[in-house]
Amino acid sequence: MSSIDLVIGPQHPALHEPERFLFKVEGETVIDVEPRIGYVHRGIEKALENRTFVQGVYLAERVCGICNVAHSLCYVQAMEDICEVELPERAKYLRVIAHELNRIHSHILLLGVAGELLGFMTLFMLMWRDREDVMDLIERLTGNRVNSAYNVVGGVRRDIDSKLAEDLRKVMDRLYERMVRYKKVFANDPTVRARTVGVGLLSRAKAVDLCAVGPTTRGSGVKADVRDYLPYAAYEDLDFKLVSYEEGDVWARLMVRVDETLEAIELIKRSLDKMPSGPICIKPPRVIPKGEGFSVVEAPRGDLNYHVYGKGASTPDRVKIRTPTYANIPAVCEMFKGGYIADIPATLVSIDPCFACTDRVAIINVETGERRSLTIEELTRRGK
Amino acid sequence: MKAVREVLGSSLLEGVTVKPNRVNMVVDKGAHRRAIEALKSKFGEVHLFSIVGADLKDRLELTYNLWLYEAKIHVMLKTSLPLDGLEIETITDLIPGSTLYEREVYEMLGVIFKGHPNLKRLFLPEDWPEGLWPLRKNAKLEEVA
Amino acid sequence: MGLISWARLKSPWILHFNSGGCNGCDIEVLAVLTPRFDVERFGILLKGSPRHADVIVVTGPITRQVAARLKRIYEQVPDPKFVVAVGTCTLSGGVFQDCYNVLKGVDKVVPVDAYVPGCPPRPDAIIYGIAKLLGKLKGGG
Repeated sequence: MSSIDLVIGPQHPALHEPERFLFKVEGETVIDVEPRIGYVHRGIEKALENRTFVQGVYLAERVCGICNVAHSLCYVQAMEDICEVELPERAKYLRVIAHELNRIHSHILLLGVAGELLGFMTLFMLMWRDREDVMDLIERLTGNRVNSAYNVVGGVRRDIDSKLAEDLRKVMDRLYERMVRYKKVFANDPTVRARTVGVGLLSRAKAVDLCAVGPTTRGSGVKADVRDYLPYAAYEDLDFKLVSYEEGDVWARLMVRVDETLEAIELIKRSLDKMPSGPICIKPPRVIPKGEGFSVVEAPRGDLNYHVYGKGASTPDRVKIRTPTYANIPAVCEMFKGGYIADIPATLVSIDPCFACTDRVAIINVETGERRSLTIEELTRRGK
Repeated sequence: MKAVREVLGSSLLEGVTVKPNRVNMVVDKGAHRRAIEALKSKFGEVHLFSIVGADLKDRLELTYNLWLYEAKIHVMLKTSLPLDGLEIETITDLIPGSTLYEREVYEMLGVIFKGHPNLKRLFLPEDWPEGLWPLRKNAKLEEVA
Repeated sequence: MGLISWARLKSPWILHFNSGGCNGCDIEVLAVLTPRFDVERFGILLKGSPRHADVIVVTGPITRQVAARLKRIYEQVPDPKFVVAVGTCTLSGGVFQDCYNVLKGVDKVVPVDAYVPGCPPRPDAIIYGIAKLLGKLKGGG
């Protein structure tokens, strides 16, 4: 049986970004994959060299609107690393709260989208309705639903008052109960399990070799979470519990996110309990001294790191950003191999890509040169 | 920290403990593979955070940010390349996860990774001019604007 | 107003196209479909194929790679078609204005009928933008 080349990309009905994969397929099984990315390449690293470190926060957080708090946090931490500033305690806890709220909204977003992809439209709608409560809290805390530039070098921009703290606790308690119910759906529903268990396998050894990160690697039994091995902000004092599953399939990766959402809710409540009073920000230095700074944070999708070279001016010399999804691409290509075409959407969504796959699948029959198109509905229906 | 130094031995040009869990190691251009092999065999599982290329005007500095899981140490393995000799051996056989990172450094700065299985462009559009490396300090980006 | 215009007015089907954005606008566009905001009550449905769409909702600064694809998709959408540009990036390039891979504004690639500024615009603002577009259709008959 000769192999066919199958191109997926770059447009999709749900939210994600454009990108393209070229699959080599025999029958229904995927043999090999070549990713073609770059549709979202905006030249940000170069642009950051022309921004002062205050302006840079606005640009850095727009690398990805979903995990924007993680980006702004990592960027300011990298600069604080060069300057060696001592942060006020209260700021560290506020950073944790914003960071975990960001994680919760991102995970709910992904779980809803995964539900939709598996045909579970109701789950998508229900989860996103709950997500709106989280977005309200994010807006009250940081000033905007998305892209708030909450983190600055030296601390955070806005404080929390007792009313907001009280509301946070109430909403978190309510959300916890909802998430427990959603967890039962993901863990036990036979349709969900049929589409996710045993699909998109990634062995532990491969996960380490390919340097996979985040829930992708924690779903394969690798106990690696930056909040655990290199704690930042206030995580050392918050009794953080790492979440991991052994199975290495799509199901495991989704379950990791469900449990992490529950853990995030707990972290927020613990932060509110332990947060000391005091200033939320210190006066930052005027220039970034000569030197190098490195910061790594656990963004919702995995470890995100910034490496900054300072040159003694108000703009940095070089900023290197390594985003988690980028690190997971070799891993997801590995997961596609040996699987069915129909499993492609579920596998891709399980790494929580911060760029998109597609709507339109074009099948090019190499021999006849004939092209056919499938919608994603047809693609997913074929599986079971 | 000392163990890391011992492991790298004579190829280590300079080793500095920057923070309690971060070590800066500078090695010779040809020695980076040996260094990574030695680190892997002595310290077990290694995670590559990133490969950073920086145009420092008089040279190009490559930093391999490595995390040693067991020892909980971040090793910044640095090596310098002269601007007229931008080639270095690949590490994709040692750390398969480095394949895309090396492609990015190639695409943005023009460093050739010898032995890389698929050194092609990743991000830039098909009609981007050859030989224009965006992250170099002397890159003339006005011609493409 | 003819029957066809009325039908068009009552249930525009949208195609969402992300031209290289940060996803901020995209998640707000998606939030518009969810129960809190619920545009389905206006008959607005998100469609996957350009052939089924009436309105293209574009987000993101247009990167060079994507510009040609956007043009192709625009051509595939059957007439009459409308384009809504969501987010500051589509208007002018936004924060990415001086980046080397970004075109300054989607109206350099396709004609735009409605602009919704914001970084990102709130879902309420996006609904307002679409409502204004419907109003424009009504006026034009």
